[in-house]
Amino acid sequence: MTWPKLERRKAALVARRDLRDAVSELRLIVAMVALTLAIPIASASGVRALAAFGGGTAVVNRLSLVGAFFVVFIPASFSLVLALESFVGERERTTLEVLLSTPLREAEIYAGKVAAVLTVSLSLCYGGLIVYCLIAFPGLGYFPLGILLALALSTICQVAAMVAGAVIISLNARTMRAANVMASFIILPMSVALQAEAALILLGRADFLWAFALLMAVVAVVLLRMGLSGFSREALLARDVGLRQPLRRATRAVRSSLKMRPGIFRLIWMRRTPMLLAAAGLPLGVLAGYLAGASNAIPPAVIRPALASLVKSSGDGGPIYEVATIFSHNVLAFLLVAALAVTTAGLSGFLLTFAPGFLLGFAAALSSWTLALTGIVPNGLVEIPAAIIAGGLAIHIGATAIHMDARGGWADRVLAATADYVRALRWLVPALAVASVLEVFIG
Amino acid sequence: MLEVEGLAKRYGEVLALKDLTVSVEEGECLVLLGRNGAGKTTALRCMAGVLLPTAGTVKVDGIDAADDPAAVRARVGLMPEVPGLYERMSARAYLDHFGAIYDVEPPVRRRRIEELLEVFELTDAGDRWLGTFSKGMRQKVALIRATLHRPRLILADEPTSALDPDSARRAWIYLKDLQRDGCALVICTHSMEEAEHLAGDIGILSAGRALAVGNMVELRRRSGLKMRQEVRDLPTLQDIYLAIVDNHRDLAEVRTA
Repeated sequence: MTWPKLERRKAALVARRDLRDAVSELRLIVAMVALTLAIPIASASGVRALAAFGGGTAVVNRLSLVGAFFVVFIPASFSLVLALESFVGERERTTLEVLLSTPLREAEIYAGKVAAVLTVSLSLCYGGLIVYCLIAFPGLGYFPLGILLALALSTICQVAAMVAGAVIISLNARTMRAANVMASFIILPMSVALQAEAALILLGRADFLWAFALLMAVVAVVLLRMGLSGFSREALLARDVGLRQPLRRATRAVRSSLKMRPGIFRLIWMRRTPMLLAAAGLPLGVLAGYLAGASNAIPPAVIRPALASLVKSSGDGGPIYEVATIFSHNVLAFLLVAALAVTTAGLSGFLLTFAPGFLLGFAAALSSWTLALTGIVPNGLVEIPAAIIAGGLAIHIGATAIHMDARGGWADRVLAATADYVRALRWLVPALAVASVLEVFIG
Repeated sequence: MLEVEGLAKRYGEVLALKDLTVSVEEGECLVLLGRNGAGKTTALRCMAGVLLPTAGTVKVDGIDAADDPAAVRARVGLMPEVPGLYERMSARAYLDHFGAIYDVEPPVRRRRIEELLEVFELTDAGDRWLGTFSKGMRQKVALIRATLHRPRLILADEPTSALDPDSARRAWIYLKDLQRDGCALVICTHSMEEAEHLAGDIGILSAGRALAVGNMVELRRRSGLKMRQEVRDLPTLQDIYLAIVDNHRDLAEVRTA
């Protein structure tokens, strides 16, 4: 990974202009500030009222934290509006073209705009949070500094992820209307993230919030990197003309991807790095599962249902039925992994080998290695290589999805990677069929 | 100053520009004529180092746009067809912002901004938000922005299309002055009057190809037009342009290769 060339003074010029523009729209600022203050005041008053009228301490404490997360989320979501305005709005009003015709580098424009949006959004977020804390916590006898710091970090990452997402949208939307529709793809996952955070607090597992904040940081870095790679003059100016007949182009791309892709052995060689990652998933999973089982980090009651459902999936309606059930179960897993590869950035591919490895290790910890291994021999000799190939190809799809190229062609590359997977299924599906026969008749 | 050799630009399946070869020396002006979608704007963007050529080379001041596009953009002043101004900024603040981007020293850019606002009769409006400006006033600001840093090469896309005749003449005089100071100009226009007024050489583009490049005498010869019978006069640029474009009607409009 190379760092882009960037002159900070130039990026600051862009940031200053954008900031000035954002605060010059008085009605917008008044609305944002009013919401930022009204929501914390209302939420904090609610928490205080609950405490005053006899809400249990545990409930009040947890709700006070959930309130803090919601208070921050509203202004954080403004960042999306501001970022869309800054990128798509400028593009629509053709002011971006003027900026692109100056000696400024893409990285300077990008960094300046991102900095301006972050400054406004984070000021509102933290302003709201401070107001909330000042009203909600005094008198409660409870001030969870660590959790609030995790929230502060996670907020920066959420806002950065939304801004980066807006940049990626700006590369694909030519009007604000289209951009606003596409913004759902950002706001929905973000609201799910918020719900997950709230769930962790309500379940009393606030200690996981740091891990969650770390995960958000990784997502933000990946998205920011994607936005920077895709933010190019060529992409913003040239592609306008090339977007004619999108359906015909997509059909042609799918057809040529399927026709032009390499054979299975060449494909394995070409994708050896992601396949090595997928292969590493199995021993890592075994190790993690064994440690989790042996140390009792995860109670057996949590894992047992998964193990039981795996055992149950073999069915009990005769050998042919068993073969069909195992086979369809595995094929479904392979298809799901590919379908989720784009949205999980290839993590689903890694999990294809890691998850069975984890269960194997966990089972070994609870019983013995001999017993655990009988579950995967001899079918595993066919199933595991097939899973490594499928996992590797899914990781490649994910890697392709998070790689933006200044010259564009994202859809074509993702289609090509998916076509590799589809073509590989011609070999993998028969391999799964053989594995299920082995499992039922020899295993 | 500007050397363009075999320039081609493809957007996906669309070949917007094919095999364009032109050169403009210091103090010269090349005017590009052509119908809408002929490839003029793409040519300007490639010459400005904003877009990279699919094939061929663009050199400004000896610098290859493919090797160092930022250096090319620093030497060029591009005025796009749409002014693209920030609505909630005053003209002075806006020009100061772009002067800073082009590394013009603060005292120099303040002086120059005042000079140019005066040239274009915008001194009094200089502190008003650009959103309140008329179309013509916006175009004047865009022209000032493109020339504020004294670029070696000015690329202007229909620079006077929104100006009244008096302001247009003022703009032409300003561009001629810059030319006299050694600045090279490339202008895209649909105004034959503007082309005749400014052009040294004229390039006629159609469907992404250059049909003809040369001065008025050369183009007149290429067009095959004789003296205009009705007025016993030389054919105008309008006559020459239409004759050359008519001679190449067979060029396909769809440029998918």
